Order: sequence, then C-alpha cells, then structure tokens
Amino acid sequence: MTTLGRPAIRQATRTLRVLGTDITLIEPIRAHAEADLGFRLEFDVLDFQNCERKAATHAETYDVYDQCFHNLDIVWFWGALQPVDTQRIVDWDMVSPLTREGGINKFASPGFGDTPVSRLYVQPSDLLGPTPSRHVSMLPTVHNFDSFGFDRAAFGDATRGQASWSWLLSPDARGQIALVDEPAIGLLDAALAVEASGELCFADLGNLSVAEIDALMAVLEDRRRQGYFQCLWRTSEDAARLAREGRVTVQSMWSPAYGELGARTEDFIEAVPKEGYRAWHGGLSLSRHVQGAQLDMAYEYLNWWLSGCAGAIMARRGYYMSVPERVRQAVSPQEWTYWYEGGEAQVDLPGAFGQTVVRAGNRRPGGAYWNRARNIAVWNTTMDEHNYAARAWARFSQAVREGGACL
Amino acid sequence: MSVGLNPLATLKRYELVARVLRSNILSGRLPRGFVLKEGSIADKLQTSRAPVHSALQALEEEGRIHRLAGQGYLVGPAVAGQEPLRDSIRKITLEIAPDIAEALATRGTWQHFYEKIEREVAASLIFGEFRIIEAVLAEYLGVSRTVARDILGRLHERGLIRKSQSSHWTAGPLTARDLRERFELRAILEPEALRLAASHIDYAGIAAISAAMPRNGPVDDEELEEALFEGSVARAPNAELVHVIRKARFLPLAANRALIELGLPRNTQAPEEYRALLDLIARRRIDAAAEELRAHLHLMAGKSLARLKIVSVLGRSFVVAPYLAEI
Repeated sequence: MTTLGRPAIRQATRTLRVLGTDITLIEPIRAHAEADLGFRLEFDVLDFQNCERKAATHAETYDVYDQCFHNLDIVWFWGALQPVDTQRIVDWDMVSPLTREGGINKFASPGFGDTPVSRLYVQPSDLLGPTPSRHVSMLPTVHNFDSFGFDRAAFGDATRGQASWSWLLSPDARGQIALVDEPAIGLLDAALAVEASGELCFADLGNLSVAEIDALMAVLEDRRRQGYFQCLWRTSEDAARLAREGRVTVQSMWSPAYGELGARTEDFIEAVPKEGYRAWHGGLSLSRHVQGAQLDMAYEYLNWWLSGCAGAIMARRGYYMSVPERVRQAVSPQEWTYWYEGGEAQVDLPGAFGQTVVRAGNRRPGGAYWNRARNIAVWNTTMDEHNYAARAWARFSQAVREGGACL
Repeated sequence: MSVGLNPLATLKRYELVARVLRSNILSGRLPRGFVLKEGSIADKLQTSRAPVHSALQALEEEGRIHRLAGQGYLVGPAVAGQEPLRDSIRKITLEIAPDIAEALATRGTWQHFYEKIEREVAASLIFGEFRIIEAVLAEYLGVSRTVARDILGRLHERGLIRKSQSSHWTAGPLTARDLRERFELRAILEPEALRLAASHIDYAGIAAISAAMPRNGPVDDEELEEALFEGSVARAPNAELVHVIRKARFLPLAANRALIELGLPRNTQAPEEYRALLDLIARRRIDAAAEELRAHLHLMAGKSLARLKIVSVLGRSFVVAPYLAEI
C-alpha cells in the first residue's frame, strides 16, 4: 500500500452502520447527522420484528442499534450488545427522570409493564435493572404515549377525555377496526380494549399469564369470526392510508400518521383514553462488536442524538425526546408550544419532511407533555410469556389475513 | 395399563436374564444338575452372550448354580457325585413372565433411540403444542409400538410430555409458568436437600471445581450446575427427594440444550456467581450455602425466563419431526 492511498481508504471506511425502524431512521435525521458529524451513515430500516430479530442474531451487521427498551429483553439477553458508558455521554445529566428514575416525578404512576428504568442500568452478571450504575444498556431518546385514532363521525367529538380503549372492540365499528400487527404492542392495545370494555380483568396488564393470554386471544378470535377487523397493519404509513381511505373508524395509530391524513385530518383524531396511554421508549445501543475508532464514531452519533437537532426533527413527528431542554433550544417557540406544552398552534407547523402537519388553531390532544407522561396505563413490554403470546398473536394475525382482510 | 414405561425396562439386561433363570430354577423347570451354557441360553433368550455370562456369575454368587470345570455351570450347589444333566435347553419351555419378556425384547432398543427423541421433543415444545403419534414414531424409528411406548413412557416420567384427557400424548407449549414453577420447586427443595446431604457431600470435589474455575471470563453454566449438583445436593440420603429435584431440573435443561442447538448463545455466567456458593460448601458452612443456593436459583430462574422470551424471535427454524402434529 502506498502512503498516498491511506487517507482515501480511511475516508471511504468512515461509515457508521445503524440498524433501526422507520420511527427514527428517516432521511432528515441521516442528512443532518452526516452534515454535523462528518462521516457517512448507513441506515438499515426494518419492521419491528425483523429489526429485533436481526439485532439479536446478526450483531456483526450493525454498529448502533436504534429501537426500544422493551426490545432489550430479546436483544440484550441474546448477548448482542455492549454497555453504553454514560461517562462518554456529554449530556447524560440532562436525560429526563422519566427514564433515569422511572417517572417524571415521584407522584407520577409508573404504569403497568416494564418501565424503561427497569431495563436501563447494567447490573452485575450482565442483568439489567433500575439500580443506577455507570453503564446503561441503551441511551434513552425518543418516546411517546400512544393511544388510538378514531373517526369523529362515528364516535362523536370525544376530545374531553371520554374516549376509551374499549372503542377498539366497539360493535358499532365492526368491520372497520384495525390493530397494529406486533405482538408486544398490538396485543397490549387489544388487552387495554378488552379490559376497558369490562370483558376481562387482568391481574397485571403488563405481564399476562398463560390463562389470561388464552382468554384474550379467545375474545379476539370471537370478534375476528364476527368480522370485526378490517386488517392488521405493520407500518405507520399503512395506518395513515387506512384512515385516509375511510376503511377504518377506529384503529391503533401512531403519532406521525395523524400528520398524513390529508383531507381527513380534522375527522380522524387521536384519542385521549380515560384509561391512560400505552407508553414506549426508544433508545440507542452499541453492538458488542464495535470497538476502537468505530466505537468513537458510535459515541459521537449517540451524543448527536441528545444535541437538540434530532429532538426537533422527532418533535415534528409527534415524538418526545429524553432531553426536552435541548429540544426547546432547537425548535421554534410555536413548535414548542404546540408539541410539548399542548398549547394552540399559532401558525401552520411543518412535519419532519417539511410538509404542513398541523394547522394553526389546533391543539395537541392530551395536552402538555407532562400531563401525558403522568397518564401512563402500561408500557410496551416483552412479557414473561412473550414466547407464548407472540405465537398466539401470529396465529391470530394469520387468521385475519386468511379471512381476506388485508392491506 | 394402557401405555407406560415397563418398570423392568430400566433393569440391566443381565439382571433380566438372571431373573428368568432364577425363577425357572426355583420352579424346577431347570432341574438340579442341568448344564447351563452361555451360547445356548443366549440363543434361547435372543440376547448376546455378555449378559448371560454376567447373569450366570451372579447366580453362582447366590449359590444357585456352580461351575463345572470347562463345561459351564450346573444347576444347584456342588454336590459330590452329581451327574451333569446334558440336555438341550432348547427343548425346555422356560417360564418367562410377560413383563420380563417385553423388557428383554425392548431393552436396549428404546435406550438407543431415546436421546434423539428427547432432543426432538424438547426442541418442539418451545414452539408450541404438539400431539405425538405413537404409530408414526414407531414407523419413524423402525421399531415396534412397544418400543415407541417405552420411549414415550420415559419422556412422560421426565415431565417432557403428558397425556391429554382423550389419552393422546401431548408436548408443550413450554411457558414461562412451567419454568417458574420448576425453579420455585427447586428453591424450596434444594437448600433442604443440601442440608440433608451435609455429611455426604464430595467436599474435595466441590473445592476442586472452585479451584479450576477461571479467575475472569465467563464460565459455562451447564457444566458447573451439573458438577455442583452431583457433588452436593444429589448426595442427600433421600432418593425420593433427589428424584423429584432431578425431575424439576430436567425440563429447563432439555429446553436449554434445544435452544443452543437452534443457535442461541450458550448461557454464561460470571465466575463470581458460583465462587461464593462453591466456597461456602467447600468450607462446610452448609446453612449459609443453602441460603446462597436459594439466591442462586432465583437468579438462574430470571436468566432462564429471559432466554425463553428470546425464543420468540426464532421462526420455526427447525423441521418438526414427522411424529409430531401441531395442535
């Protein structure tokens, strides 16, 4: 090798590989991060289950893994990741107590299921737990408090907090219901619906027993046979399309989809369920293979995520960041008012891709971040019986597809 | 009895042969002075010569037969002037109890196949609930229904399969509840068994395990668990207790082996996790060791549950054996 060749080769190999989902791995993030960091970013974007599977079984194919805390039950325990050293995270002290301590304040109910803090800190024997330590499994980043979307024409103008998860199984919506096709998430939406309707009562919504899963799946199967489900969806775009095309009156729905409803934006709205939200928390982890200069780049990328820019882009998709103060500095005051404070939008607001997603005069359903964060019914969770539940869900999902209902 | 493990199937083959000969000597079908030859007995009982050889030695020790220089054995104790009764054993109708006949016919065969079937069934129950079709299993292995039944009986005894109300053998699904219950049972029983075992523990062996462990770096927990168990808890002078514990240990162990075959990384532990426990036992601080063992089982239960969750990302990445029908 000639000495002249070296710099060129080094330049070409300065690429960081990130595995994740379309929640976070979007073009505006890649473009901004590349511009700020000065190295190339390669995003490997998969659906939830395939992302989790690849993260666990093919750790050599990525440097940084971007998914959720509830995925750690699979990916961390597979041994695919290495701990993140918080001493290399410049703004670690600014990360919200929602993750670092388990709630935005000591009065906030943590909700059922596995709170992110219970999976945050690396404990002796490589277990994860809430006892603070220098090393964490995942750097907390985006999160949200999910509910479902509904058609005002069908359910009325329930913006006063009277919406209920039971609507997801409402006889009035029969044939026009969709759930998200992901066992750790769709199953929880369904469990919230069944419990809210009074049909079943679970001892611990965040950790269903075998008998409870059987009972829940029996209810879903019964409704499926009665033709309740329009379909199950896998991406937020698909959910938006179902609502746009008028095929659903109520469905599992995620924040970005509300900005993609076009003419139906005013009719199809986000519920504020009286039972509380289904919360989730994303973050960034390091592949166990990353080391040396590549590891340095990975830490640069992790730090960039907390710098404010990423949080601003995520806010425009309706997602919250673990460092709200940094986001406040990076968005316009109008954006901050609408997205975080729950105030009225003073002007039309742009989405992450530049299009208008919020019209002036609207308010974000559920109000301010701090109100929503205090109203968590359950966290997305990989339950103890996840293996059993996931297989039961897969059979249900297949039956829905074979029943002719599909996207 | 419809189906089940022939209790005699676990006897050594020479013991079965010895039983047949003993009972026929007692009944007089093999009269005093009758010449017993290895080869002809082996032919008659359709077995190899080795177990016959051992059976004859055992009967000699019991004083039921005696050796005749160069000619095999004679029935009965050595008596002066006894004329050898040289008749072919083939002409004699030996009385063989049906269960011994069955055990003779199947012994060895079922054992030969058992481990393979155990592996396949353990791997399947992670993925759901299956019915086991006995006739297909017999055909799959090229053995009689009797042999297939014995294999299933053993799987049942070990808690891998169960019988449904409609008398079908079923397996799985392996749930977190199954694992949790077994670890709970172990946490109740093993510390007590360890106390009972106090004066029977292989102290030198336990100290040697501790000394052989690497100072740093992960250790393979299956090996350590096994050595720890055999050297301590399994020595409790209560066979029934040890049997129950072995049974509770079996399912998680079989499932874990199946997981490793399917590509899950081996479970490893920090050596400290074992060092404290091993050292307490080696220093004969049994009460403290029993408490440490309880805590250790709690930790292992957590790891075991975590590993079961992981399985959900594995698709049906193995070929289900033909005798298993998903329910």
